[in-house]
Amino acid sequence: MKRAREDDGVQEPPSKIARAQNKDTFSTLSDELLVRVLSFGSVHTLLACQRVSRKFASIAVDSELWKAAYYKQFVLPRASRIPGIKDAGTSEYLRHSSKLSKWLDDRNLIKNGPATNWKQQYRLRYNWSSGQCAVSEILIAERPPEPPLLVIMHNSTIFTADSISGLRAWDTKNERDLIASTTLVRTTDGTPMLPTSMAIDIQGAATEGQRVAVGFEDGSFDIFVLSKDSRTFDPLFNHVPSSNGMLSALAYASPYLMTMTEDNILSLYSFEDGGEVLAPPRLLYSLRSHTVWPPVSLSIRKMAAGIVAAIAYAIPTYLTGWTVGIQEMRISVDGDILDSRLATAADQNPLTLAGHLSTSASTTRSSSPFPEVSREPSYAKPTSLSYSHPYLLVAHPDNTLTLYVVKSTSDSLCIGAGCRLWGHTSSVSGAHIDGRGKAVSVSRLGDELRVWDLEGKTSLASKRLSTNNELSVRVQAARSNEEPNDAHDKVSDVNYGLRLALEEGFDDSIVSRGWVGFDEQSVIVLREKGEGTQSLVVYDFT
Amino acid sequence: MASASTDAAKVIKVTTSDGIDITVDRQVAERSILIKNLLEDLGGESTDEPIPIPNVNEAVMKKVLEWCEHHKADPPASQDDDSDSRKKSTDIEEWDQKFMQVDQEMLFEIILAANYLDIKALLDVGCKTVANMIKGKSPDEIRKTFNIQNDFTPEEEDQIRRENEWAEDR
Repeated sequence: MKRAREDDGVQEPPSKIARAQNKDTFSTLSDELLVRVLSFGSVHTLLACQRVSRKFASIAVDSELWKAAYYKQFVLPRASRIPGIKDAGTSEYLRHSSKLSKWLDDRNLIKNGPATNWKQQYRLRYNWSSGQCAVSEILIAERPPEPPLLVIMHNSTIFTADSISGLRAWDTKNERDLIASTTLVRTTDGTPMLPTSMAIDIQGAATEGQRVAVGFEDGSFDIFVLSKDSRTFDPLFNHVPSSNGMLSALAYASPYLMTMTEDNILSLYSFEDGGEVLAPPRLLYSLRSHTVWPPVSLSIRKMAAGIVAAIAYAIPTYLTGWTVGIQEMRISVDGDILDSRLATAADQNPLTLAGHLSTSASTTRSSSPFPEVSREPSYAKPTSLSYSHPYLLVAHPDNTLTLYVVKSTSDSLCIGAGCRLWGHTSSVSGAHIDGRGKAVSVSRLGDELRVWDLEGKTSLASKRLSTNNELSVRVQAARSNEEPNDAHDKVSDVNYGLRLALEEGFDDSIVSRGWVGFDEQSVIVLREKGEGTQSLVVYDFT
Repeated sequence: MASASTDAAKVIKVTTSDGIDITVDRQVAERSILIKNLLEDLGGESTDEPIPIPNVNEAVMKKVLEWCEHHKADPPASQDDDSDSRKKSTDIEEWDQKFMQVDQEMLFEIILAANYLDIKALLDVGCKTVANMIKGKSPDEIRKTFNIQNDFTPEEEDQIRRENEWAEDR
């Protein structure tokens, strides 16, 4: 058709040929039709069209197109995996998700309506899935505090606590600067106190400021509220020291606060909702556990008929080393304990040292069909444990992680068969998972960060065992250099840290404390260097 | 299969924008939801009055009706834009591919006509054909293919390129 260029061709209606050659008919189509054409194109096509002309640029960033691309790329593959999980049992989480039509957890993006920038969301997810991010660093301590610093990330804010610098809050966005800080001292005589645990109030309304509880060596705990406007921490409550000793773990979901001491005494408090300063809480429940070993992970989650308080913990077994268990207490809205139950991971050998044989272990349908798993050598004591219902992720010193799916229904609690995850090339020191199956793990040297997308993966365990390398992606720092000096150093650190470490004969010059946290847009790793400086490394995926 | 007496109702006439009357099987014409609805509004009585189609000329109408004739027995298209039947752009059946081997002018005329006449399946074939013409091309190649004027300043174009760097390296 190109050669029909001679104007006024003889047989053909002349105007038509001339127009086909010189006129841009494509651009004269209505926006609606252009969107329709581009809806058949790939993301690559959209990006190319954005550079064609102003008209095409306005069409190619159309939110509906990116919404569709997002769905096709990120939601549909997950949706198609869901039936596998459904068959394996009815977890609260999935029953919930099945009524969300097709968008699963990304419904929050849908609810935001036109406010959602789908292209940006696509880019964010794309960067996550390919491990691309920008890296920056927040220096938090010149010297190592004893015991090590506590870190939590929540709603784009990082909270740190240590005896020297007290409680501090940092912004993970924008400037990554200090929002607020307060000293942690005994109110009576002003001596510094040693924080040993920390928890964020997951129920707190965002408007009132974030509440944070800090537990201390002497068994006391303080509650502060972070006011971002005035950039201060305001004390809300101070609990007197306890003879039960150091608080090793906390969980906080207003009005409930759960504490765990070094001696495994678990206490559950309920606070009256009050004004500026909280009234002393009511002790709802206290128990001493003989089965619990560190690391533990406490959690409180709200249910329709009350709350569920759960402890996930490591537990030694006779023959196979270590496994994990969960104790769950269901509490009514009035604070009465409805029941308390235990489950142990249905591992190779459910015979635990503690003699608490969970009934669920043997009834779990999926406990046996993974011969590969059961032939494995015993588990060493876990290095880190993260429980976000329904996922329980355990990090092992032998370069692997184990993922369990916890099924908690009104009449049973059980832990599904573990799925071993390979990918790390050195000992895994920390791992964190959220309730959607997105997980981040970091190796002990702090140089290898992997991002996992684990939703629905346990049901595929038997098929995927040999190939589950593809479940995770190693995070690579972005090539673009937004913060020239600092970021560049970090980039080389991340990429070559492991090789350097090996060449230098396993020098511990860069040691991660193993803490890792993440939200929608970034991953934070706490890194400690030989000379004692500690810093938070921020991997930004936006 | 129909008796001679109902045959009349099986044929209708349309008048194109350039004033040409075309006679066509009603079943074929009803691939167009616009025509189908019009006929239904007329109460199903057989009509000798031609239906005016002011937006489509004879050449394009004949082409469209050729497509309708070939696809007259297709099951009705689902109205759900999300449905999986709306497959990837590469999936155009062979007959349709041949059918769409026309010059660009005609291709866009068919798309406009399909849109106006509300023939969703034909509209999709047209859009897919165009999408395939874009596929894998650089912005410059796309401009050349469709005679699109580049109205960006070099700075603007460069900025968009940098914004989208994250998606490179596939």
